Amino acid sequence: MGAPSDAEVIGRSLGEPEAFGLIYDRHAATVLRFLGRRAGARVAEGLVGELFRIAFERRKTFDASRATALPWLYGIGSNLLLKHRRAEARRLRASARMVAAESTDRRASAAALDARLLFPRVADAIEGLPDDEREALLLFAWEELSYQSMAEALELPIGTVRSRLNRARAHLRELLEPKGKGRVRSQ
Amino acid sequence: MKPVDLARKLRRDAAFEPAVLGRGKEALMAAIRQEVEPRRAPTVIPQLPYADIRAALSFLERAFGFREIPTWRLEGKDGVIHHAIVEFGDSVIGIGTQGAHGAISPMSGGIESQYLSVAVADVEAHYQQALAAGARIARAPRGQGAEARAYEAIDPEGHRWRFVPQRLREVPQERTSG
Repeated sequence: MGAPSDAEVIGRSLGEPEAFGLIYDRHAATVLRFLGRRAGARVAEGLVGELFRIAFERRKTFDASRATALPWLYGIGSNLLLKHRRAEARRLRASARMVAAESTDRRASAAALDARLLFPRVADAIEGLPDDEREALLLFAWEELSYQSMAEALELPIGTVRSRLNRARAHLRELLEPKGKGRVRSQ
Repeated sequence: MKPVDLARKLRRDAAFEPAVLGRGKEALMAAIRQEVEPRRAPTVIPQLPYADIRAALSFLERAFGFREIPTWRLEGKDGVIHHAIVEFGDSVIGIGTQGAHGAISPMSGGIESQYLSVAVADVEAHYQQALAAGARIARAPRGQGAEARAYEAIDPEGHRWRFVPQRLREVPQERTSG
């Protein structure tokens, strides 16, 4: 007999609340890394407990047909992160500076100079995306969620997830155009 | 480079203290137990003002072992915490915004007008935990008696906490019953 599925564990936790601890054991590390990438260690450490407490309170609403609870947890995390936009923006800009600095170290070439100019603009462009597009882009690019998992996390049909991601891509391309009107952040 | 690949370049992992996951689990299990056994409503709740409530909650948990009761948190849409309740043993304390209800954090008021005495089961272990978390020690434990083992620490905003061995609490009861 294999280990019980997340849905079985959550089902059991309705009668035996402490069983929910197993959901934490299975997914907390992944969720913590997700929050850390987005908002940094300090914010993530505060949020991970909150996220699981919210999940625990909402466990009745978990769709038992899902194989894993992870996308559902990502979804709760995405909502919590909306309150930490400033921490996210700071981290994104710091990452851009680091990526730019790394490419400068390796080769002092024209390409490195480009990177120094390019990545801060990528950060600004991601920052300037509407919340729903930024969320879709980062779940896809950073967390490598499948369309199906993204649909579960964002509680949207798959088609909507695809079009949202496409809009994010188009938006980024437009914001990163070397010349033209869309160059600066949209607001 | 394609937009998604550019975005991928900015992905950066954060470095965590190893104890984070364990603390999160304890907080979750404490919240779960609360649902199972709802606590009785306390009759007196000390309220402490802080300029940075989020930092205070984190410190009180790490250094002194207080746990927030999450369902009682008052938080604005902007993520600013206005008030929170933490528990320790069978008592609770309110952690409020400085300035609200006329209460001022010692950090800006310059004085400590009160201190809190907390009875703990293992005061030595508690002292070590507070030290490890970087609490400022105002009076270190010295000697063996109950009074001598007590210690006092100052939290990051200047509130003074006195931790005493738990059996001190039983003294008045013995007196009244005897």
